[in-house]
Amino acid sequence: MTLFRFANVRLGAVVSFARTRLGAALLLAGTAVVPALVGVQPAAAQVFTPNAEIVQGLQTSVDDVPQVSAEALRGLAQAHMKYTGPPESRPPLAVQLDQLAQINVEIVFDLNSAMIKPESYRTLGSIADAMHNPVLLGYKFLVVGNTDATGTRELNMKLSQERSDAVVEALSTTFRVDPRRLQSVGLGEEALQDPKHPDAAINRRVQIYNVGRAGALAQQ
Amino acid sequence: MRFAGLALAAVLALAGGQLAVGPAKAQTVSYAQAAGLLAQHCGGDIMKHCRGLNLGNNAVGNCLAQNAAQLTSTCAANHASIREMTEARAAAQKQVYKACDRDAAQFCPGLVPGDGNIVSCLLEASKVVSATCTASLVNAGYGQ
Repeated sequence: MTLFRFANVRLGAVVSFARTRLGAALLLAGTAVVPALVGVQPAAAQVFTPNAEIVQGLQTSVDDVPQVSAEALRGLAQAHMKYTGPPESRPPLAVQLDQLAQINVEIVFDLNSAMIKPESYRTLGSIADAMHNPVLLGYKFLVVGNTDATGTRELNMKLSQERSDAVVEALSTTFRVDPRRLQSVGLGEEALQDPKHPDAAINRRVQIYNVGRAGALAQQ
Repeated sequence: MRFAGLALAAVLALAGGQLAVGPAKAQTVSYAQAAGLLAQHCGGDIMKHCRGLNLGNNAVGNCLAQNAAQLTSTCAANHASIREMTEARAAAQKQVYKACDRDAAQFCPGLVPGDGNIVSCLLEASKVVSATCTASLVNAGYGQ
């Protein structure tokens, strides 16, 4: 299988990559995937490898990736809200994203806000650099925001959408990634990374998926 | 070129001359570098004066400009030039398609304009593409 190009490396301690094949329910995937990597604080002064690892994480060599649309994913998340039990009792979100090249990114937002804190600017810039890398220039990406289970589900859904929108807005305006290559979806707390610990920091994350070739885009 | 030169001078000043300069190096810096510099020099100011605003659509940049009198001296002295670095990289990337238009037609036939493959093709054909095109690829950060 050449579908997977995950690299289990740290990038400036804020970007981590899932290495494990996550199974059908990637977004609900288990506790063993990334906990050791996400959330590590960067050292004060470190050499920041620009974007080679992000590029590697997002690279895909196949054209027959599953069709994933922001609308469909949003619909699944909305439907998932009918499961009213505690987070650990809810079934996994039935999405098939595991075959897509992907990275998990820790972007720090202000509390209850879609404001990206300055400490994450460099990470955002690195993602933009990767999306401008010739290897990835021809591809489209899905930016998925997730919260933990603190607060109401409705608010979490709204907040995660606003946050993924903020990431896409920065990428497409400040960093000039063609907006036609970007889609944004907030999944709220419907796709916890660690459902056994629904309030854990690992659940608060932004995921970026390579969703296939963009095709020719007219110059703007 | 003047624009890019200014940005380079600015980043050299900010980076304390750590960046090596040579003919094969890009005259612009990466988005990550520029964004990191903004956080480094203006992070505190942004949280103090622009809380709730985001990088996108230059909301933070406009806020810093509007609060110029209240900013720390480091942020006040640097935020505009840091923004220019991002703009210079964006301009360099846009410039590639003009600078390499003929080369793309000659060496990458069959690829449709707007397809990301064109940059990859031009890089692969680096030994034969024009000096102008090569320089623009390097300047856009597409080279080494």
